[in-house]
Amino acid sequence: MPAARTLFENVWDDHVIASSQGEDLLYVDFNYINEGQSFLAFDQLRLEGRKSVRPEQHLAVTDHYLPTINRQAGIEGIANPEIRKVVSMMANNAAEFGLPHIHMHHRRQGIAHVIGPELGISQPGMLITCNDSHTATHGAMGACAIPIGGSNQLRHVVATQTVWMKRPKTMRIGIDGTLARMVTAKDVILSIIREIGIGGGTGYAVEYAGSTIRAMAMASRMTICNMSIEGGARIGMIGPDDTTFQHLANCERAPKGAYWDRAIGYWRTLPTGDSAQFDRELTLDAAALAPMVTWGTSPEDCSPIDGKVPDPDSFSDPERRRHVARALEYMQITPAMPLSEVRVDRIFVGSCTNSRIEDLRAAAGVLKGKKASVPGMVSAGSSEIKRQAEQEGLHRIFLDAGLEWRDSGCSSCNGSNGEIVGPGQRCASTTNRNFEGRQGRAAMTHIMSPAMVAAAAVTGRLTDVRHMALA
Amino acid sequence: MQAFTVLTSAAVPVPIAKIDTGMILPGRYMRRHRRPGHDYGEAFLHDIRFDENEKPRPDCALNDPAYGKPEILLTDADFGCGSSREGAAYAVLDYGFRAMIGPSFAEIFYGNCLQNGVLPVVLDETICHRLWADVRKSPGITVTIDLPRQIVVDSDGNKHPFEINPLRKDRLVQGLDDIDVTQGYAREIAMVEGRRRGSYPWLPVTSQA
Repeated sequence: MPAARTLFENVWDDHVIASSQGEDLLYVDFNYINEGQSFLAFDQLRLEGRKSVRPEQHLAVTDHYLPTINRQAGIEGIANPEIRKVVSMMANNAAEFGLPHIHMHHRRQGIAHVIGPELGISQPGMLITCNDSHTATHGAMGACAIPIGGSNQLRHVVATQTVWMKRPKTMRIGIDGTLARMVTAKDVILSIIREIGIGGGTGYAVEYAGSTIRAMAMASRMTICNMSIEGGARIGMIGPDDTTFQHLANCERAPKGAYWDRAIGYWRTLPTGDSAQFDRELTLDAAALAPMVTWGTSPEDCSPIDGKVPDPDSFSDPERRRHVARALEYMQITPAMPLSEVRVDRIFVGSCTNSRIEDLRAAAGVLKGKKASVPGMVSAGSSEIKRQAEQEGLHRIFLDAGLEWRDSGCSSCNGSNGEIVGPGQRCASTTNRNFEGRQGRAAMTHIMSPAMVAAAAVTGRLTDVRHMALA
Repeated sequence: MQAFTVLTSAAVPVPIAKIDTGMILPGRYMRRHRRPGHDYGEAFLHDIRFDENEKPRPDCALNDPAYGKPEILLTDADFGCGSSREGAAYAVLDYGFRAMIGPSFAEIFYGNCLQNGVLPVVLDETICHRLWADVRKSPGITVTIDLPRQIVVDSDGNKHPFEINPLRKDRLVQGLDDIDVTQGYAREIAMVEGRRRGSYPWLPVTSQA
């Protein structure tokens, strides 16, 4: 009997071409490209006279810089000339290198990490790369999805369809039990990051397992894997199961016919064996979790909503103490302040973390029949999700509440599209990062689940959604 | 890629923990084409170096001319955490640094730096703090990073060994590009690709995206 193996080992090992001095050369089944910094890679490839060797194993997706308004005006409708330039460079580079491109007017336009799994391009057992740190999102499908650098590494993948990587250690995070009402995948992953710290997963491929994960729909699993990098791990995976297969069965790019049966047969061989060993294991009790909010300038700076802003002196590690003191100063909040007293200036629902139809339903469920007391916007993760939400009438709930209903893109999560939070403004956000200046210079970000953001929209402060009356 | 062997240079401290890539290269600079004479040096830690009115912050050592033209940056923990933007590594390089010394670096940023010829050196926190104190006491004194021997030599001549992946070290010392190395594996690549396509013929292709 061969030793039981982990999901990660099953996928990674099947892609190893060669090993040299501590790194593996891996075959890349599929690569997503966003406009981010990729123009630097194409600049370099052009200078060197190199081509794409497997253009059909790439998909360029315009998401980072593309504004979520005024699409009908076309590229000329993008007011900022620098942003317009980056958007058009992606189109030009995709055309020049022969790469399929989901451009700003494409019927399936959206955020790469949302549309890859939505189209069924991201499948179990694949090795996937993308020039974005949230690439682990695709790991929810049972793929090994790895973020790569937007210029040198992307250039390497385009020119060779391979990537050099150090083989990570393995960590399993087991989450068991039933989540309480209004406690979501976002609260699970924030709780994990709080537990392990933003460096806790560095050097590891993380597998999320346990009964709580098994019970989750694909959207929730994607939220979990998405924020692996906030815990330091580049790779986050979940074993493919019937939930995964049911999702794929409805996807346009998933295997069809006889291939479907063969694919399922293969996919069932991938999950971690019962006695497989991990380099590190930790467990979390789902029943003990509460809705989380961040109060600082790092994703690990988070607490249950019914808690208080911590005192920097309560941390024993001097480095952590220094960080928290600086974070509270930046966030303009003081120790011992109840989190539910922190007022917000605006809200954002969107990003590759929380913009799927389930996320929009959760936010709309809280907002139904209510007015937002602060401005804000809702941006679906893909044009397909936007259409679905409109069919369900969710957009009416957001519009009636006084929020903006935007097109799909990275929007206010990364701000490189100009959709920033103003200086000194505080935003309740479903995004993944709350670093200084992430949503705009001197902007203050509080990360939480879509339902929690919706609650904050109604009251104008951080709010425990569990205590909110729902229509 | 410029080769890196032995570097002796002044070193300048930025002792702030968890400086993320968005601080190293603020988002508003990321739309720039990067070319000689119009590089990312100006963007490097811009909001740490300058206040809201674009005035140099006096408490930032990067604004202190006493450090001369340092090519070594002394960093604090988790330097380079946050987004994977490779421009952050360019900003470090374009500002004039060839190396960094700190207690820890975020993984993606660490790799991006090595890919671009910038060497991040991880040393124990107490040694890092001593280096900060040394250079603050006598700004402009030099530190040596000897990559082939994997040691940092401080201004008092103390030697501090550091770890680096041998493959990365080798390529950095020779200034070798990854693609050149990979193309030597053409036969092995074709084999793995052929096996995968044979076993999993449903793997997605996007010719009609």
